[in-house]
Amino acid sequence: MRAFLDRLWIRRLIALSLLIALWELAGRAGLLDPLYFSTPSEVALVGAGLFLDGSIWPHLQATFTAALLGLGAGLAIGVALGFAAALVRPLADLLEPVMMLLNAIPRVILAPLFVIWLGIDLGSKVALATVLVAVLVFFAVYGGVKEVDQRLVERVRTLGGGRAVLVREVYIPSVTAWVMGNLKVAVGFAFTGAVVGEFVASARGLGYLLQFAQSTYNASLSLALVVMIMAFVLVLFMLSEALERRLLRWRHR
Amino acid sequence: MNLLRIENLSLGYGGEPVLADLDLALGAGEFASLVGPSGSGKTSVLRAIVGLQQRQSGLIDLRTGPEEIGFLFQDDALLPWRTARENAALGLVIRGTPKAEALAQADAWLERLGLKGLGGRYPRQLSGGQRKRVAIAQVLVLRPRLLLMDEPFAALDAIVRTRITQDLLSLVERERISVLLVTHDLEEALSVSDVVHVLSNGPRARILASRRVPIPRPRDLLAARGHPAFAPLLRQLWRDLAGETEGAPARLEEAA
Repeated sequence: MRAFLDRLWIRRLIALSLLIALWELAGRAGLLDPLYFSTPSEVALVGAGLFLDGSIWPHLQATFTAALLGLGAGLAIGVALGFAAALVRPLADLLEPVMMLLNAIPRVILAPLFVIWLGIDLGSKVALATVLVAVLVFFAVYGGVKEVDQRLVERVRTLGGGRAVLVREVYIPSVTAWVMGNLKVAVGFAFTGAVVGEFVASARGLGYLLQFAQSTYNASLSLALVVMIMAFVLVLFMLSEALERRLLRWRHR
Repeated sequence: MNLLRIENLSLGYGGEPVLADLDLALGAGEFASLVGPSGSGKTSVLRAIVGLQQRQSGLIDLRTGPEEIGFLFQDDALLPWRTARENAALGLVIRGTPKAEALAQADAWLERLGLKGLGGRYPRQLSGGQRKRVAIAQVLVLRPRLLLMDEPFAALDAIVRTRITQDLLSLVERERISVLLVTHDLEEALSVSDVVHVLSNGPRARILASRRVPIPRPRDLLAARGHPAFAPLLRQLWRDLAGETEGAPARLEEAA
């Protein structure tokens, strides 16, 4: 029994199950106002219902499309600008203050602007997700290139490597390690951008459904959506970890 | 004929030079060591030869192309994301050798250096001594005519260090590679070198003395230390360095 409880994930599962059971019991005993806190069973029923009647699919498609496009675009832009700024000094002088400013503010405040510029369709959600991810990745890459191990640079130079070889053999692998370390955070940011963008103005998506649930005071739907988003992000986290383990296998003994 | 000739070399980082007006020559197949206190600019000399450090003044005349110079660093400096064989083959790949051929040559060198079967491992999966052997393979696979070594074995324990040094010594003797070794270890310098150059303290460090080592080749490291010329030369080096280093052993001085 003790060995069984020694496993961290089992202890976590037990703690979570206890919390849900307490919540369910409190709801059934009438201790929680159903207007604010529906019971876990009610939340599960609402969530399952969304899948069973198929109404969730267009919303999932919209959110996933926006998040994944934003993640892809944000990674591409962040990597390109980060590399360029680290290798070309004048570009760093231009980009660093802009990125610092974008990093310092809560970037979701740009959501209304993107709606004005790009409308309430997919474009504004992708744009917000892109900005959230790109700033994060920019600093990861910029810092990664600048902090590349100089011993490796000198090693490759004494073996006859020029700038192109250095980029291929030293900078790209170093930066990949930095980016992979930030990939999980980037996935979370991409979903934040997509959902917040939908929340501000849209006709589809999990953010739109959340907005609908809020305006109709539907706590069950709100909670079901929150759990759903958490579950999806968790799955993407695990995929990111698997990718990181594969790409950075040289880090493990 | 000299493979390397240095004249009036001054090195520093702006302002007063760390090392000034250095003259040094290295013949083909000759093994020379640079010893001296910390801060005397020993490492800077090696870095200047391969262009990793700007010189303030002076001449470095190399009778060999940059592709024929090998540099063994103090740190392993292996690419952590490349396997041992990929690291060993890196220089060849950079110089345009087809990858399959480069890897085959790298495998042969790894085997020669006692790393058979370990080529697929990443540096993290190797011991310090094994990593050092990979670094040696990476340099020797390029068939250098001139080998520059900056205390390459300082971080290794005594047993591994002696073994690797002996292996490397036998290789450079067989291949007639010229070597310039930077070291703090006077006994190591004497046991491997044909000539030991002693540097003074910096700034404006200079060569205090150049001592020829009349121990015949090929050499066995342990036997070399038992050679009749070894102990007197070691005392001579300590005398050369007296006043330049803190803590030079008084008894050696008295014995000399």
